[in-house]
Amino acid sequence: MSASNQPPKADMGFSPEESISLIQSMITQARGTVADNSFYLLFWGWLVFLCCLAEFALKVLLQYPNHSVVWWSMPVGGVVTAIYSFRQSRKLRVLSFVDQALDFLWAGIGIAFGLLVYINIASNAWTNAFTYYILLYAIGTFVTGRLLRFKPLMIGGLLNFILAGVCVHFSYDYQLLIASLALLISYIIPGHLLRNRYRQNR
Amino acid sequence: MFKELDPILHSQLRLAVMSLLIGVKEADFTFIREKTNATAGNLSVQVQKLKDAGYIEVTKQFKDNYPQTTCKITATGIEAFDAYVKALQQYLQAGSS
Repeated sequence: MSASNQPPKADMGFSPEESISLIQSMITQARGTVADNSFYLLFWGWLVFLCCLAEFALKVLLQYPNHSVVWWSMPVGGVVTAIYSFRQSRKLRVLSFVDQALDFLWAGIGIAFGLLVYINIASNAWTNAFTYYILLYAIGTFVTGRLLRFKPLMIGGLLNFILAGVCVHFSYDYQLLIASLALLISYIIPGHLLRNRYRQNR
Repeated sequence: MFKELDPILHSQLRLAVMSLLIGVKEADFTFIREKTNATAGNLSVQVQKLKDAGYIEVTKQFKDNYPQTTCKITATGIEAFDAYVKALQQYLQAGSS
């Protein structure tokens, strides 16, 4: 590139100050474009929350032997999420680095959940199942909250770390109630608040 | 001695496109048009110039029977943008001293 002794101004149409101002304005606009992620939090939050309470009612209150039948809704939830995700990806107009990081984070957590279910089935070790599930909720929601700069999710995630530690002292039956509380504070409440924030900013 | 500002980037609309793309992984033509308030015709010409300079990658595909153009900044584009910002800083520092 050639060099000169004078900064280019009038001949190039706009000044270096205007260039900097334009760059800042565009970067700010791009920074605000993150997809609405509340569907996943609300869908999985409500689904697992209701499953936990339903299993508790079937197992503890009604003493129904096939109480674990409620968890067959998980693969159905997986299919619903996959269809929703596919449809959203076709509508996507911009993919931010935050969106991409969130995709990788939740893909990793999804794999960890699947593997944990397999480990629990293979070793018949359900005693502390929800301790580990809540730990995964904590990692997912805390990191998501940090990436989205959304405090309710970060706080929900931090509280879940505490609940995971508390959960280990309770039997499976009461772990179901602790897990439903964990989902309420880290998925459902922040999910509704995130949806509101997204709709206000739209 | 002042480095001459890259003429490809020192144009309002092309600089706006590059500044948008530097902050995202990829964006489609409609998104860029909305954010820059440019006309489709003008934006098309400027996007082509950026593509010819090797600063952006342009992918054209069909989604639900509608054509979609996606733009993504390249490594050359990032280097050029970086050099442009450094040159701007040089001008600004000279102006303030």
